Amino acid sequence: MLETSNPSSLQHVGHSPARQEGPDKLTGAAVFVSDMTLPGMLHAQVKRSPHARAKIRNIDVSRAARLPGVRAILTGEDLNYRLGLYVVDKYILAKGEVRHHGEAVAAVAADTLAIAREAADLIDVDYEALPAVLNHMDALAPGAPLVHRDLGAYDYVEAVFSPQGGTNIANLTKCRKGDIEKGFAEAAWIVERQYTNPSVQHVPMETHVAIAQWKTGDKVTIWTSAQSPFTVRNLFCHAFKLPLSDVRVLIPNVGGGFGGKAGIHLEPLVACLSRKAGGRPVKLQATREEEFTLLPCRGALTYRIKTGVLADGKIIAQKMEMFWDAGAYADYAVNVTRASGYSAAGPYEVPNAWVDAYTIYTNKPYGTAYRGFGHVEFFWGLERHMELVARTIGMDPLEFRRKNLLRPGSLTLTGEKITAHSGDVRKCLDAVAEAIHYGELTPAETAREKRTGLKIGKGVATLHKAPAMPPFTGTAVIVKMNSDGGVLVNVGLTEIGQGSTTALAQIAAERLKFPLEKVKVTVEKDTDRDPYDWQTVASKGLILTGNALILACADLLEKAYADAGQALRAQACDLDHDGEKIFVSHAPDRSVTFAQLAVGYAYPDGNAIGGPLVGVGRYVAQGLTNLNKETGQGLPALDWTYGAHGIIAEVNAATGEYHVLKIASAYDVGKAINPGLVRGQCIGGMVQGLGTALCEGYVYDLQGHLLNPSFTDNKIPTCKDIPDEIECIIIETPQLDGAYGARGVGEHPMISVAPALGNAIRNAVGAELTHMPIRSEDVWRAIGHKEPVETWFTTTPTGSCRSIVWGG
Amino acid sequence: MLQHFTYLAPRTRAELHAVLADRGSDACLLAGGTDLLANIRSGLAHPRIVVDVKRVDGFSGIAWSAEDGLLIRAGATINDILRDARVRSDYALLTACARDLASHQVRNRATVVGNVVNASPCSDMAPALLCLQARAVIGSRRGEREVAFKDFFKDVKKTVLQPDEALERIVVPAASAGARGDYHKLKRINGHDLGIVGVAICLGRNGDMRLGVSSCAPTPILVEGLSDSLSAEAVVGAVMKAISPISDVRATKEYREHMVQTFVRRLLDEVKS
Amino acid sequence: MKIKVTINGAAYEREVADNVTLLHFLREHVGLTGTKEGCGAGECGACTVFLDGRPVNSCLVLAAETNGRSVSTIEGETKDGGLSEIQEAFARRHAVQCGYCTPGMVMSVRALIERNPKPTVAEIKDGLEGNFCRCTGYAQIIEAVLDVTGQADSKQEPTHA
Repeated sequence: MLETSNPSSLQHVGHSPARQEGPDKLTGAAVFVSDMTLPGMLHAQVKRSPHARAKIRNIDVSRAARLPGVRAILTGEDLNYRLGLYVVDKYILAKGEVRHHGEAVAAVAADTLAIAREAADLIDVDYEALPAVLNHMDALAPGAPLVHRDLGAYDYVEAVFSPQGGTNIANLTKCRKGDIEKGFAEAAWIVERQYTNPSVQHVPMETHVAIAQWKTGDKVTIWTSAQSPFTVRNLFCHAFKLPLSDVRVLIPNVGGGFGGKAGIHLEPLVACLSRKAGGRPVKLQATREEEFTLLPCRGALTYRIKTGVLADGKIIAQKMEMFWDAGAYADYAVNVTRASGYSAAGPYEVPNAWVDAYTIYTNKPYGTAYRGFGHVEFFWGLERHMELVARTIGMDPLEFRRKNLLRPGSLTLTGEKITAHSGDVRKCLDAVAEAIHYGELTPAETAREKRTGLKIGKGVATLHKAPAMPPFTGTAVIVKMNSDGGVLVNVGLTEIGQGSTTALAQIAAERLKFPLEKVKVTVEKDTDRDPYDWQTVASKGLILTGNALILACADLLEKAYADAGQALRAQACDLDHDGEKIFVSHAPDRSVTFAQLAVGYAYPDGNAIGGPLVGVGRYVAQGLTNLNKETGQGLPALDWTYGAHGIIAEVNAATGEYHVLKIASAYDVGKAINPGLVRGQCIGGMVQGLGTALCEGYVYDLQGHLLNPSFTDNKIPTCKDIPDEIECIIIETPQLDGAYGARGVGEHPMISVAPALGNAIRNAVGAELTHMPIRSEDVWRAIGHKEPVETWFTTTPTGSCRSIVWGG
Repeated sequence: MLQHFTYLAPRTRAELHAVLADRGSDACLLAGGTDLLANIRSGLAHPRIVVDVKRVDGFSGIAWSAEDGLLIRAGATINDILRDARVRSDYALLTACARDLASHQVRNRATVVGNVVNASPCSDMAPALLCLQARAVIGSRRGEREVAFKDFFKDVKKTVLQPDEALERIVVPAASAGARGDYHKLKRINGHDLGIVGVAICLGRNGDMRLGVSSCAPTPILVEGLSDSLSAEAVVGAVMKAISPISDVRATKEYREHMVQTFVRRLLDEVKS
Repeated sequence: MKIKVTINGAAYEREVADNVTLLHFLREHVGLTGTKEGCGAGECGACTVFLDGRPVNSCLVLAAETNGRSVSTIEGETKDGGLSEIQEAFARRHAVQCGYCTPGMVMSVRALIERNPKPTVAEIKDGLEGNFCRCTGYAQIIEAVLDVTGQADSKQEPTHA
């Protein structure tokens, strides 16, 4: 909620203290699951499929079982459990059929990793290779091989998703607003084009890793590098039909998540190995190569947009078709489709809109949640399209955007009304346009062009996103006072590097009026101790957990005041407090310290009142609704964070080589709780978005083998790849129900970096790029109007640049 | 993690030669380890024995000789090259290529010798050694022989080295000292990356010119017999005739050809100005 | 093989298999888990340690090769139980997020400023090129290096529009 205190009187919120868990991370003392060893622990190795699609005729584990030191072997036949967040379509190990290159078909737990690997090599799998379907558009064709023959029989979340049995369509999300045909009929211009994005991996620096111990009585403890302890517990218990209290999930520090660790991944397999090994703990850590194929990525997207515009440049109708390549399993992809579907038009007013968003199965590593949850992918198309529409009708792209932006009173695609407090996208766009001197070259830039012979171009792009989450998402927070008057805060929200620990500490310190040093927010998660939080995703942590925390602090103070009132023989309404004590407002010498109250107050004669001070707060999203499955209408958005990027790019028109001179980014964050951390999200997300634009993307051969399963050919930005100049701009239109007015900004900086770059390159040299990534070769081809190269599927490369196929 | 092997660290050339004579076909030589250990991990190499050359007497660092020029010993790292002011002034092309090789951490371990023995078509050091007319000094129990680098590379990751031989040092001739030169490497990112194409140029004091090209053929390629009096077109033509780039996950043949031509022209402008 | 190696100034004598990397030796045999594995192939720099004072990727060094030599890890960076000046600057400048790349990054920074006490931004980038970070986008790390080398001006904050 928005506290009514005067912004200038804020002591902690709005300042940038260093993060609380910094010292541990800086000294190497911070423990990650990859660092952990437990007594008696075994090491696991997975055996993976060399085929994109095949029948498993037989698995012979006898040679592996004879190897000394092998303690457990599992195949799909041993594990008749299917999991799935939204569509229950995935066995723990492939059963009967493999659906992607790199899929796990068997697993071994052994005394050492070397033995486990040797044993995995000794497992003989007899495959019958089947024709695979690799391209998601091919998967839609009638007669295409079915990735999931039994899709029609799977359990799924009926309220939200629409899988189409008998096809490769795991979900279809629709949105129907107004009258699309009428809208197009009224249009003076109709502009249509298609845009594409490959699959991309999160590349957390710590790969996925989990340790599990399945003890007597089916009590399970799991240590995992994950974002959502309660989701791991929930899905685990659901699959194995265990009471929630019997499973304990612990998360120490997490070496990056970015959505890839949002759900459940290695935990069930590792737990089953432990069970098979008689209850010894088992650890499985993905190698970097396994991270690229065994663990999920982000789905690819083909986005077709058809826009109808009136003569004055106002959008009157827009048809949007999204074809999401989910890979072999639905995982989060169906929800990515849904969340993108209802957001598909961006922060623009579209009176008549039609969205069809498909989640399509293919025989490739599957897509999961990734920072931006579909928005990085579709904004590439959308913001390149807005640019195209503007140029086609002869309008400046910035003016065209301004003319069509959502404003207070506008209705979104789902019929939600935007208000003055939704956020100010116009301000974001104007700020970045100004920061890059959009529309003209400065004298210095003109001189630079002359000197270098290179062309300078400028482009902008907007962005928006609401948290993609159930309308009933809730969280709780517990604040416990220590006997010295400091407080310990337990939250289920997970620190994955975003800085939630510190921001929450600042919020608590602010609400309690305590010095920051007296507030500790615990970093490690424990589902036995921490109160429930849905997941650490969606950029909703500050709003939901922040509010619950404020309420928990208020609860703690109320209890403290009640005890103090007794001790001081005063009424609560006459009390006030500071960081050390509670005192009578009009007679401040009458006071009692928090330390005296913390675990119960004792009178001089020994009589006691009160007890340990514990504050509890809970908060649930309010007023949100499911979307109508036919029309897509409803209220899905907790809040909208708007933003924009402006990019100045320098391009070599002869070779396609280019360089980002400057990026200016603006976000309406409502209130920056910790501006230093906000800047960290801004720059970090932007560079990750730049990676998507510059160089990231899966490449497959025609048999569905991933050709770039390592850093050799799956590049990410280094410190040499960041723009010369980076500007971060914050706009603060308070979120009325946000903690101190804050909205989330964790995902947003990554969105729309790519189209801003694409627009800048277009401005510089006229190259029209519709496909990602944007390599210098792609720019060169576009400049010369050459045939673009298919960069996602390639005929098997010859020569020394063949990538290594793992696990085959 | 690495598969099992025996690690040996001979102290003298004689010990080294003896091991290679007996077990050479089961062995791989270890210098910086930045190629070999990565290859063992990925299963591309599976030696039973790993022979560390760094402890052999006389194998570390670089040395200068009035008649021979620069001697790069087996253990000399890329950063040893970069740190040396005399290499910078006398063999600028070596410095230029070294600078573009991987990252600082890798350069503290990777050796020039190891880079050419690995014989990747993408080798960053080979173009310099080819242009500077360097020679490989190869030792074994059978004696010592010298092979010019233009004859050293046979195929992808294959050289003239026999199983019982070690590349012990590289001679960069005194006659090549003072040549002007530079290296342009096309990468996918500004950060460390294998080359998509790499072109080195060397202009000697007599106006003799050579180019070295990496990532455009099964081996690094030398284009020689050129002079600074040739037109840019002629030089480009000669280079294009000598190379055979392919299309792969990194780039198409077409783009590689275009960028080689671009780099040749840029380098000609550079050395002639 | 038996090796004698000095780690952070302390002498260690251990029996180790020939194929164990220095990275695994540190993490699993000596129990110094501050140094991380990010790729195992010499690309990401999370495993950066000093070998005889020079930063290397420990995933591509055999423990056997360190016999008779000295190794420094992140655990040796702290001074008298407190953060070093580099670590303080990182904390101040928000140069840490998830923390997984941080040990290797700090080691590379230590090496950089030892060989170049006043590096330019370009020199900082050359020095840190071999350390991937997926969280920070590097700018605040570069600012921390400028800060600790006395070259930074006021704290960088986002501007308000």
